[in-house]
Amino acid sequence: MEATNGTPQSKAGDWRSYERVLLPPVKDLHRLEVYEQHGGYDALRTVLTDDSLTPGDVTQAVKESGLRGRGGAGFSTGMKWSFMPEPDDRPRYLACNADESEPGTFKDRQLMEYNPHLMFEGILIACYAMQIDACYVYTRGEYVDWIDHMQVELDKLYDKGYVGDNIMGTGFSTEIVMHKGAGAYICGEETSLLESLEGKRGYPRYKPPFPAQKGAWSQPTTINNVETLACVPLIVNRGAEWFASTGAEQHPGPVLYGISGHVNRPGVYEYPTGMLITDLIDEVAGGVRGGKALKALIPGGASVPPLRADMIEGVTMDAESLREAGSLFGTGGMLILDEDTDMVSWLRRVTHFYQHESCGQCTPCREGTGWLEQIVTRIDEGEGRLRDLDLLLELGDQMEGRTICAFADAAVWPVRNTVKRFREEFEAKCKKSVHPTGAEVSAGAETAA
Amino acid sequence: MPTITIDGTTYEYEGDHKVLQFCLDEGVELPHFCYHPAMSIPANCRQCLVKVGTPKINRETGEPERDDDGNVQIQWFPKLQASCTVDVQDGMVVKTHRSDEEVQAAQKDNLELLLINHPLDCPICDQAGHCPLQIQAYKYGPEGSRFEFRKVHKPKRVKLGPRVTLDAERCINCTRCTRFTDEVSESGQLTINQRGVKNYPLTAPGEDFDDPYSMNTIDLCPVGALTASDFRFKARIWEMSSTPSITTTNATGSNCQYWVRDNLVLRITPRQNMAVNEYWLPDEDRTVYEQFNNDRPTGPQIRTGGNLAEARWPQAYARAAQDLSSVDPSEILFLGSAHATVEDNYLLTQLADALGADAPRYIPHVEPGAGDDWLITDDKTPNAQGCERLGIRAVDEQMIRSKMDAGEIKLVYVLEDDPVAAGLFTEEQLKGVSVILHHYNTTNQTLPAADVALPAAMVVETVGTYVNQDGRAQRVRPAKEIRGVNRTLMMEMGKARQDTHGTPFDKWYNEENRVNCKPSWELLPEIAERVGHPMDYAKGPKQVMDEVQSTLDAFAGATYDAMGLKGVQLEDVETGETV
Repeated sequence: MEATNGTPQSKAGDWRSYERVLLPPVKDLHRLEVYEQHGGYDALRTVLTDDSLTPGDVTQAVKESGLRGRGGAGFSTGMKWSFMPEPDDRPRYLACNADESEPGTFKDRQLMEYNPHLMFEGILIACYAMQIDACYVYTRGEYVDWIDHMQVELDKLYDKGYVGDNIMGTGFSTEIVMHKGAGAYICGEETSLLESLEGKRGYPRYKPPFPAQKGAWSQPTTINNVETLACVPLIVNRGAEWFASTGAEQHPGPVLYGISGHVNRPGVYEYPTGMLITDLIDEVAGGVRGGKALKALIPGGASVPPLRADMIEGVTMDAESLREAGSLFGTGGMLILDEDTDMVSWLRRVTHFYQHESCGQCTPCREGTGWLEQIVTRIDEGEGRLRDLDLLLELGDQMEGRTICAFADAAVWPVRNTVKRFREEFEAKCKKSVHPTGAEVSAGAETAA
Repeated sequence: MPTITIDGTTYEYEGDHKVLQFCLDEGVELPHFCYHPAMSIPANCRQCLVKVGTPKINRETGEPERDDDGNVQIQWFPKLQASCTVDVQDGMVVKTHRSDEEVQAAQKDNLELLLINHPLDCPICDQAGHCPLQIQAYKYGPEGSRFEFRKVHKPKRVKLGPRVTLDAERCINCTRCTRFTDEVSESGQLTINQRGVKNYPLTAPGEDFDDPYSMNTIDLCPVGALTASDFRFKARIWEMSSTPSITTTNATGSNCQYWVRDNLVLRITPRQNMAVNEYWLPDEDRTVYEQFNNDRPTGPQIRTGGNLAEARWPQAYARAAQDLSSVDPSEILFLGSAHATVEDNYLLTQLADALGADAPRYIPHVEPGAGDDWLITDDKTPNAQGCERLGIRAVDEQMIRSKMDAGEIKLVYVLEDDPVAAGLFTEEQLKGVSVILHHYNTTNQTLPAADVALPAAMVVETVGTYVNQDGRAQRVRPAKEIRGVNRTLMMEMGKARQDTHGTPFDKWYNEENRVNCKPSWELLPEIAERVGHPMDYAKGPKQVMDEVQSTLDAFAGATYDAMGLKGVQLEDVETGETV
C-alpha cells in the first residue's frame, strides 16, 4: 500500500532488500558442520575466550541492543538477565521456553527445525552472561519430532565439547537438557513451566517471589523464549548497535512474523520489527485470499485484541505502534481474517480454546472461561439476547487482573475487543427483543472503543 | 515499632506476617477458602482480595512523600492483591471490603463465579450449616446468579478410600486436601485430576486413599466435597452439640470435639491445640465413636446362684463391699487403669490404702510398632502417664500369675479395664476368685467372670483428667448424658447443648440412648463408705483433682481452672519414681 501524506511510514527501512539472519537461506543449516562453516559458535568462542568480555558486559550488550522478549510480553531481555542475583553457592538455571502453543504462533518451531544451533549458541552465551549451570529446553510435547531432531544436534555439541564440562577448554561449564512438555498451553507461562519442569502440575505461581529469586527448585532462574535466545549470538556477532538500529527504535531487531489465516501465502517470514501491517499482508503474504477485503487482524496470537481493517492503516508491527492502535505485539503470530469471516463464530472458537486450557487453579479463570464460551456459543447459535453482550463485558471485568497469571487477561482481551469492535455482528445474531422498543437496551455501538 | 493500617485502624506489629493471617489474628475477618495456616499458600481461590498500598518513597531522600496537608502519600498496587500472599510492610495501608467498594465488588464477583458450577445442594449437603462457602456466599456474595447454562457434571459418591467419600461437583478446587497429603501427612495420595473447570481431587488409578490421617481432609474441605463415609447424611450440624474434650485412643491425648445428637456420639473432629495435635486428628481417633453407643451395659449386675443378674445400684454397692470385707486385704488385687481418669485411679488408690491392701497396678496396652512418631502412639491408652505419676505401676505379669496359681489372690478389683482380653488371666482362672469389675461395654471379656459388674461412664460421659505421654494434663467434659441424676455432670454439661432440654416429647429423643452407668468417682466412694472408709468429696472430681495437685508434686498446678480447654504441662518426673 502506498503511504499517504501524514501516515507513519514503515520503520523497517529498506525491508525488501533485508537479508535474513535468524533463518538465513542456507541448506542444512541445522547440522552442526554446516552451522560452523557459516560462522557458527564464533560468538560463543568470542564471549568465552575474550578476556575483556565479562559476563556483565554480555548482559550490558543485550541491554543496549534493546532486545525485547519474543515470547509475548515483550520485556527487555537485558533487564531480565540483570535481575539474576550475584552468583553464590546455589545452582542457577536457565529455562528456554520452547512450549510454543499460542494459537496462530509457529515461529519457534521454524527456528528449532532450521536453525537450532542459533538457539543453542544463544543459550550458551546467556548461561555465560548469567553464570548459569544448566539450561532446560522446555519444548512443547507435540513437537516430538523437533525434540528428536534437536537432541541429535545437542549430542553433537556434547561430543564436540561445546556443551558440558570445560566448554572449548575455557573452564566454563554448563549443561543443556531437552525437556518434553505434556501438552498444556498453560505450561508456556513461565512459572507453570517451572512447576511442570519440577514434575508437578502446571499451575502458575504467584509473584513475588520472581523466578530470578526463586525459580526452578527454588533456585535463581531465568526463562527466555527460543527466538529471544536466538537473537543473542546476533547481538554478539554484529554488535548491539546493529541490533538496536534494525527495525523499530523501541522494539528493535529481526523478528519472525508467523502469518496465517486468509492470505495467499501464509508462513513464517523474517523481517525487521516495525513493518507496516499492510506491507506484510499485501506484499509479504501475497494479499488476502481470493482478492477479498480484509475484515480483521489479530497481530500477535489469539490472546491479543483483534483490530478491525479500518484500524490498521499506517500501523506498524512493533509494541508502541500496536499499543496505540489498540492491540499488542504478542508473539508476532498474525491471524488474518477476510470479509466473509463470522466474528461471533471465530470468538466462539477462541473462547473454547481458553475454556479448554485454563489450568483451573484460580476461581475467576476456571469458572469464567467456561461461562464466556457458553455465552458466546449461545449467541452464535442465535439464542443469545442483547443483554448477553453486556454480560460478556462485565464478566471480563470480573476476571481480568484478579488471577495469579495473565491467562485470564489473555482470555478476556479477545472477547472484550471482539464484542466492542464488531458489536453489530453480535447484535445481528442476538434474538430480537420481544419487549417494546427501549425495554431492553444494548449499550450500543457508541461505547465501542 | 512498624505499623500497618487496615480500614483506617493502625496496628503495630513485630516479625513477619502475611496480610490475611495478620487480619485474622487481629479479628478483622476476611473471606477466604484455600488459605490454611498450616500449609503452603496457593492463592488460588482469589477470595481474599484486598486493596494494598505502600508509602510513596522519594527516591532522593528515601523519605515518604507527603501531600500539602502533611499526610503520607500512598502508592496503591495497580491490581487488587490476594491478601494471603502479601507480606506486611511498615506503613502499608490495606483496604478490605469494609472500606472499599472495589474490593467489595471483587469479593462478590468471585463468589458468583465460585457458585456457577457448584450444585447448590445445601439442603442435602452435610456441610450445610458450617460450610465456609455457604456462610461466605450469604455474607459477601451476590443476591442471585446470572448464569443460565447447564452446570458442569462431575463424579459423585466416589469412594476415595475406606473412610472418605468425594462429591466432585461440590469441589471448588482449593487444593487443601492435596496439599494436606503432600505437605502434612506426606502420603501424597491425592492429586488434582483433569484440568480447568473439570478438575477435582483423586487418587492415582487403583490406589486407595487409606492415609491414616485421611479424614483430616474432610475437616479441611471448605465445601461438602469430601465427606466421612460413615457420617454422611446421618445428621445435620445444628442438631448436634459439640463438646470440647480429648480422644482416648492413644497416649497423645489429641484435642477433639465430640458431636452428639440424642445422647449418641456421631462423630469426632479435631480441636486446635498447638501444644498437642495442632489442627489434626488421626483416623483411628475418629472411627471409635461407636464404642460409646453400642454394646453398652443396661445397669449393674451381681452374681446370684452362679448367674449374673440385674440389680439396683445400692445392691451392687453392698455386694461389692461385702466381697471386699470378706477377704484378707493382702489377698486383694487392685487393678487401676490407664483408660480411667487420674481422679478415678486416685480414689482406687485411696480405697486400697484404706483397706490396707497393696497399691493398685495397671495393665499396659502397648502395641510396639503401631505408633508413627506423630499423633499415633504405641501405647493404646490415654492415661498410662497419669497412673505412673500417681505411683500406680504396670503389672508384673509373672508375679501376678504365680500368685494366682498359688491361690494367694482371692479378689480382683478391676477399674475400667479387661484383664482377660489383655491376657493377664483366663476366664477359667477367675472362676474361684471374686471379681469386681467397672466396665464400659458388654463385650468386656472379663464380664462373664465378674461377681459384681458396675457399668462405668466413658470419657464422653464423665468429668476428669488425663495425662498424655508428654506429661500434659487435660480435662474431659461430659458430651452425653447418663441415666440418673448427677449434679456434677449436669453442671459440667455444655450450656449450648442443643439437646440439653430434650424431653420425651421430642421426636428424636430416646430414653434408651442414656446409658445406665456411673462415673467411677461416684462408684468408688459409695463402696468405700460401705466398707467403713467414707470418702468426703462432696464437690466431685474437681475436689479430687485439687487434692491430687496439691499433695502430689507430679501434678502440681493441674487444677480444673488452669487446665481449661488446652491443658497444663506438668513438670517432668522420672517414670517409676515413688510418689
